[in-house]
Amino acid sequence: MQAWFADFKADFKLNFIDAARWKWLVEGLGNTLKITFFSLLIGLVLGIVVAAVRSTYDKNQEAMAKHKGVGYYVFAVVNAVCKLYLTVIRGTPVVVQLLIMYFIIFATSRNDVLIATIAFGINSGAYVAEILRGGIMSIDNGQFEAGRSLGFNYVQTMIYIIIPQVFKSVLPTLCNEFIVLLKETSVAGYVGVVDLTKAGDLIRGRTFSAFMPLIAVALIYLVLVVVLTSLVGVLERRLRRSER
Amino acid sequence: MSDKMNQDSVICVCGLKKHYKGGVIKALDGVNAEIKRGEVVVVIGPSGSGKSTFLRSLNMLEIPSEGQIFVNGVDIAGKGVNINEHRQKMGMVFQHFNLFPHMTILKNMTIAPTTLLKKSREEAEKKAMELLEVVGLSDRALAYPSQLSGGQKQRIAIVRALCMEPDVMLFDEPTSALDPEMVGEVLDVMKKLAKQGMTMIVVTHEMGFAREVADRVIFMDAGVIVEEGTPTEIFDNPKSERLQGFLAKVL
Repeated sequence: MQAWFADFKADFKLNFIDAARWKWLVEGLGNTLKITFFSLLIGLVLGIVVAAVRSTYDKNQEAMAKHKGVGYYVFAVVNAVCKLYLTVIRGTPVVVQLLIMYFIIFATSRNDVLIATIAFGINSGAYVAEILRGGIMSIDNGQFEAGRSLGFNYVQTMIYIIIPQVFKSVLPTLCNEFIVLLKETSVAGYVGVVDLTKAGDLIRGRTFSAFMPLIAVALIYLVLVVVLTSLVGVLERRLRRSER
Repeated sequence: MSDKMNQDSVICVCGLKKHYKGGVIKALDGVNAEIKRGEVVVVIGPSGSGKSTFLRSLNMLEIPSEGQIFVNGVDIAGKGVNINEHRQKMGMVFQHFNLFPHMTILKNMTIAPTTLLKKSREEAEKKAMELLEVVGLSDRALAYPSQLSGGQKQRIAIVRALCMEPDVMLFDEPTSALDPEMVGEVLDVMKKLAKQGMTMIVVTHEMGFAREVADRVIFMDAGVIVEEGTPTEIFDNPKSERLQGFLAKVL
């Protein structure tokens, strides 16, 4: 037992203390959090825009088709672009998207953290868009009709009547998407970003000792996700309390 | 058309058609009707006859395939009409109430007047409380819709529409989703409203209500108006075979 403990101590020292290797983990964690946070923002903005276009088009198609103006055709094109975006992004692996971003689209730039952030943001946007659209479509159409029959226009109906109801129902799903995003960023190492996973792997490469760094990385992710999940739980309970 | 319109007619429907699936399904197949100010019109007919579609077309919740709908002389099915302004003057009550579940009763009733008519909150709430008093629900002002019974919800839905001070009220089977013992309380509110001179168009299966309250009854079948007349003419002296058959089933 004592021998095992001594081994453990030596292993720990080798992987984290020697040459201040723990700093890699800190740097990696920093990058992971940075990428997650900013791609979350990009994803949220993109998702809201795409969901707004898609559901507005679906809900108003009949009314717009009756009097075909220029706006109708512009809207139809924008809607088609959004659909294409959803298909391509959800139909290809995030790693491939990341590599395409890094080696083709931004081939001249070597700002790897920024490129990874954009790639993950665009990826997350597609999922957020579908979560939001699902939320909007799940609201009974009678709510729309009641709003419209009182004289609210489409946007006002959305703002005062639909969105507050959607918000409650999609919030847990949306938070889960962010937890998934956090873990997905672990493939950023493919384009040379030193994120948490890559940092652990770099230590492993130096020390030829896999156990310590990889388990440490796994534990850090686990702690982050557990904290996030419990926050979501608190939020859910609070929302349930306010609705009667 | 508008010059042909009688001066006191509020709604005039001309050749209204609603087709689905490229004309295969004809929900409305050429409906002509005129509603006068202060008139209570009850629309009856078998299910699938197009009576709900007709009613919903009147405020463009259904978009007609063909035809014109003149409201106060303006064709609301035409191009470049601000339909939202027209809807403010046309209250609608739905079969399934459609109260906003995330708002209190008071908020349900004041959100439209404060947002659209730019009324102050005090003014809108005062009006709402008056109306709640009339329907006997002033003690539920701060409740949420899920805390109310079906009959209460529908009474709230009626006064919510009235908060916008509409010229016309449309009722789309307002008692069909209610337990039988709650039908009476909703019909009572509607009767009160009719006595006050509100222009009302009611789609319903309540033949007793039609006979008692309606100025005119319209019988629809297969997307057209088959017969119309006073309640006495329709119920006691039906001319068409289809109406006779329908009445034999429901009465």
